[in-house]
Amino acid sequence: MTAGAQLSFEFDHRPAMGQQDFLIAPCNEDAVAWIDAWPDWPASAVCIYGPPACGKTHLANVWRTRSNALALAAEDLTGRTPAELLGEAAACVVDGAEAADERALLHLFNLLAERRGHLLLTAGQPPARWNVGLQDLRSRLLAAPAAAIGAPDEGLIGAVLIKMFADRQIQVPHDVVIYLVMRIERSFDCVRRVVDLLDRAALSAHRSLTVPLAREVLRAHGMD
Amino acid sequence: MVMDKSLSAEWTRIRGRLRAEYGEAAYRSWLKPLTLCGYSDNRVKLSAPTRFMRDWVDSQYGDRLSRLWKGEIEEIEGVDLILEGGMPSAPAAFQVQVAAKTAAGAGSGAGNDIGAPLDPRFTFANFIVGKPNELAFAAARRVAEASAVPFNPLFLYGGVGLGKTHLMHAIAWQIRETRPDRRVIYLSAEKFMYQFIRALRYKDTMAFKEQFRSVDVLMIDDVQFIAGKDNTQEEFFHTFNALVDQNHQVIISADKSPNDLEGMEERMKSRLGWGLVADIHPTTYELRLGIMQAKAEQLEVPIPQKVLEFLAHKITSNIRELEGALNRIGAYAKLVGRPVTLENTQDVLHDILRANDRRVTIEEIQKRVAEHYNIRLSEMYSARRARAVARPRQVAMYLAKQLTARSLPEIGRKFGGRDHTTVMHAVRKVDELRSTDRGFAEDIELLRRMLEN
Repeated sequence: MTAGAQLSFEFDHRPAMGQQDFLIAPCNEDAVAWIDAWPDWPASAVCIYGPPACGKTHLANVWRTRSNALALAAEDLTGRTPAELLGEAAACVVDGAEAADERALLHLFNLLAERRGHLLLTAGQPPARWNVGLQDLRSRLLAAPAAAIGAPDEGLIGAVLIKMFADRQIQVPHDVVIYLVMRIERSFDCVRRVVDLLDRAALSAHRSLTVPLAREVLRAHGMD
Repeated sequence: MVMDKSLSAEWTRIRGRLRAEYGEAAYRSWLKPLTLCGYSDNRVKLSAPTRFMRDWVDSQYGDRLSRLWKGEIEEIEGVDLILEGGMPSAPAAFQVQVAAKTAAGAGSGAGNDIGAPLDPRFTFANFIVGKPNELAFAAARRVAEASAVPFNPLFLYGGVGLGKTHLMHAIAWQIRETRPDRRVIYLSAEKFMYQFIRALRYKDTMAFKEQFRSVDVLMIDDVQFIAGKDNTQEEFFHTFNALVDQNHQVIISADKSPNDLEGMEERMKSRLGWGLVADIHPTTYELRLGIMQAKAEQLEVPIPQKVLEFLAHKITSNIRELEGALNRIGAYAKLVGRPVTLENTQDVLHDILRANDRRVTIEEIQKRVAEHYNIRLSEMYSARRARAVARPRQVAMYLAKQLTARSLPEIGRKFGGRDHTTVMHAVRKVDELRSTDRGFAEDIELLRRMLEN
């Protein structure tokens, strides 16, 4: 990875939930527990999987800080040998690991296992459901714990709403958050969409973010 | 702000009440994360880890909290919810313990050593022998114990995760123990390749050759990885010949027999087959169960026999995955502090046991719940409020909220056009009953399982 790429990677993370807005909810407590349990992992790798924006990258960052791990994106794996990639590192995060080159990932796996190091993978789906052709890799992946970040509950929906509005420099009033949490679909996708719709509606109508505006927007989009 | 000792006893009692009143799920999400942080001017201060949480708890539970505190200590006038002060919230994940044994410290062997470190678990004593692997095991023992080279090379092959690497490490451990003067090198073919490429790049191939040709026992794991890599194969061929000519032991593993290795030169294939070729067959149920039982004894948590049987029955692909599954449930049980049962085994391993996580629909939930309580499906949408139909309807609403992402208004609509507050009431009611009535809680759990599987 070039220095430039690493910089932008860092930058991508900046809007992610700050620790203060990160909520350990029932849907992510397994994943948190695995991160907590390090270095006492039963395998050389752990995979955290869940839908986009569910906080897996955030958790991966927490672990990265603790373990002094190298951060790689799936595409970084191709073109260099695992030893070149890792340098002296004995811990590594691969973000979006299901897209990684299979052989490269296998070799990274092996090198880290050899160093008694650890690999944290993040993905949308559990490794058992990745389309892995290389059996050596598949069996290693399946032997590793996989922790789901599941459907968010209201707590997380609320936290993510606040965070996504904050990313747009909007302080969302708490009655609006509560109004939305009670009414929208409980998925990260939906939160993202609602924040986008509300932001635009408020901008174009020059109105501030209020419960009546939220009600209108949800109604206009068949989400009431 | 001095905190009276007795206040924490009260807080514990109040938390118990809250848990009983609001149910386990709500308690864990909202109330458990609150911290009692002070008492002044007749007001109790509780802190929440996030802004939203503080607002939510204030709006949903604030009154109840105040009343409960008043019930404990009369002069208390109210409760203030504050954001966990200035410092970042410190849920467990972020309490960075300085890990004394950082993994980085164990990264030896990565530097100059040409071989790879041996796994201490991979010994002969830890190898479970059964019909499928007895030939390979006997051959490995023979090589490890013999004073003269019995066959050269020993070629072990079999599918992924059946124990080839385990046997190779076991040979190395044994030789190290009984004949420490002998130089034993174990490494994977890929590592051999990378080292060779590096030697080429640094024009250092002489040192590379010498290193490998001076060992007493050379073990190359997963030789199929150099198939098709012509330069590496060529170099490997020479190393191989040099060692065999000097009557030094060579041990090779691969996923296929020498003849079936694709992308391998014919002369290489024939050389690989010169010594003893021992295959490891896919596991049998008996072997898998034997391995499970042996492994289970090494875990810190007890694993019931029926869980071992279940795993040996379900995970047939290879031993690595089987052991991985056992480790996962053992580690999970330790992590959450609950005993291993067949039920939580299925939950923890759902990703490998099920091809898909089923997406449950509200309609399915209504149908299943109606069947379960033996009421007509139409009662799910009817206006009748008799308990015999209202309770199942509440259960269905509860499950719809737990198992789908549908919004509360939408769930309400699917239940005969009810309001989202009715759904919330149902969820709260069911949570409450679950925490007080064990039979009811088991019923709900059963329904959830039926719907998810």
